[in-house]
Amino acid sequence: MNLLLQDVSKSFKEFAIKDINLEIQKGEYFVILGPSGAGKTLILEMIAGLLPPDSGKILGMENQKTGFIYQDYMLFPHLSVYNNIAYGLNIRKLRKEEIKPVVEKLAEELNISHLLTREVLNLSGGEKQRVAIARAMAISPDIFLFDEPTAALDRSARLKTQSLFLNWHKKDRNSTFIHVTHDFEEALSLGDRIGILLDGCLVQCGTPDHVFNHPASKDAADFLGYRNVFGGPVQDNILYINGTSVTVPVKSAEHIYIAIRSDDIIISGTKFQSSARNSFSGTVKNILKKSSIIEIILDIGILLAIDITWKSYKEMDIKIGDQLWATFKVSSLKVFEH
Amino acid sequence: MECVRYLQKCLRRPGALLKNRPWTLQNFLLKMRFKIIFSTLGFLLVLFIFVPIFRMLINSTPGTLVETAKEVEVFNSIFLTLRASLWATIAALFTGVPLAWLLARKNFKGKKLVEGIIDLPVIIPHTAAGIALLSVWGRQSLFSKISGVSIIGTEIAISMAMFFVSVPFLVNAVKEGFKLIDERYEKTAVTLGATPWKAFSSVSLPMVKKSIVSGSIMMWGRGISEFGAVIILAYHPMVAPVLIFERFQNFGLKYALPVTALLILISLAIFIAVRIFEDKR
Repeated sequence: MNLLLQDVSKSFKEFAIKDINLEIQKGEYFVILGPSGAGKTLILEMIAGLLPPDSGKILGMENQKTGFIYQDYMLFPHLSVYNNIAYGLNIRKLRKEEIKPVVEKLAEELNISHLLTREVLNLSGGEKQRVAIARAMAISPDIFLFDEPTAALDRSARLKTQSLFLNWHKKDRNSTFIHVTHDFEEALSLGDRIGILLDGCLVQCGTPDHVFNHPASKDAADFLGYRNVFGGPVQDNILYINGTSVTVPVKSAEHIYIAIRSDDIIISGTKFQSSARNSFSGTVKNILKKSSIIEIILDIGILLAIDITWKSYKEMDIKIGDQLWATFKVSSLKVFEH
Repeated sequence: MECVRYLQKCLRRPGALLKNRPWTLQNFLLKMRFKIIFSTLGFLLVLFIFVPIFRMLINSTPGTLVETAKEVEVFNSIFLTLRASLWATIAALFTGVPLAWLLARKNFKGKKLVEGIIDLPVIIPHTAAGIALLSVWGRQSLFSKISGVSIIGTEIAISMAMFFVSVPFLVNAVKEGFKLIDERYEKTAVTLGATPWKAFSSVSLPMVKKSIVSGSIMMWGRGISEFGAVIILAYHPMVAPVLIFERFQNFGLKYALPVTALLILISLAIFIAVRIFEDKR
């Protein structure tokens, strides 16, 4: 049974979501991507039946069990790890003999067997998360709801969690996973489909590939990690921004936006002949060293953010103030109206 | 004279300028004047509270205290006081904890009014509170006429008076306790299959245990010390504060001292118990 949200709206304290229309397939891994505090938690809580929508309907949730994991895991502090995991089963008045094997099996799968007798207070972030997952899994839910599950974790724990979720979904094709995050890389790597929630509205929905390569709006592009988003009027296929003329695939328009991925731009020490129609000379304004790539900020009249590898960076010996050429194809430009 | 000149100097010279002056006692005292003035004022206040209580405690020997406690009248009075306040506290737990939860969790029309009403007993003069209760439950009241029962001069009346004046302490303490608990704990319990009642009883209540205990102890202690409201509704049987009053009125200070000391000791013990629970949090 698919989950259907029809014209769902809700306002609650500082958050508001408007006219959400969404269909999530059974067994799908669906990621809701949006900035923190955009009301993403509200959507999850409404799906789980914790809050009613102000207007609109949510269909497909009858008789569905939900496994909800909040951002801070909300492990019951007055219960041991074992009793936390067993909570849902205890509520259903299962006997101790029935509960024990379930809890122990889950603890083993999630590598927390050694924590069963511990209190939840002193667990690490990663350990708390696995206890929260075990607790949710114990009731065999049909739908899992994750509210920013990696936001409170350090980078290595975050990556471990992402691969944990990925493998989990591979093994369990029957459960629906709805995962809320503000991290676009996480969304792109985990989701079967992504929905982008900005300002309370679902601005785009589709497969990661589709969404990433065809952002629906400037704000969506910004959020998807596009560092080069520019807007302006177009005449005869030329977009004018701050004195720079970029060749674009649109003949003419009053105002459009373009976005270029940082790794779609080539930089070189000298101008070279190529089939690419966009080639600009500029000055290196800043060099940002990220974990496996270097981001060069090149001022060609507008500021371009260009990603290159460490190797290239070293070979080209780039310094601030250097004059370099940036080249990119017209076909690598994403164009959208707002 | 020196003091006056010191004080004058304090008022005139800003402390910062004294940084590089040679160390003399006077300069030291001048530099520290902020701390000295604050400490002196604070010390006077603490003394004002401490001295009378201390005097009560040291004026009676343990022997006298034991003798006093053994007196039937005293023993019954103290026991009655503790008992009546306990009943009031238990009644407050049943009615106050759910209310505290509602106030902490839900917003509803008139919530501020309800919170104000809960706080009223703290503001109202206690004899006034007693009279107000009397008009509702007393011999001439509607309740009495319909039920044919008069509660005046009964233990129930004492508990009611104690309940009235001290229930704000319990409700507010427990309300603050609930406020500290993230609502998401309860929501998580619901997603795991708990009914609202189960979520409350298996998650919220255990987590608010400390507030309930410290709020209850505070209310119990407050009820024990109640005089004005109780005396209007029930002069007899006499609770300890009333007994002290009567002994003082009829026989003078010396005769009232031992019971007073005893009652202060008991109140102190309760007080310390509250602090221990508060600190453990």
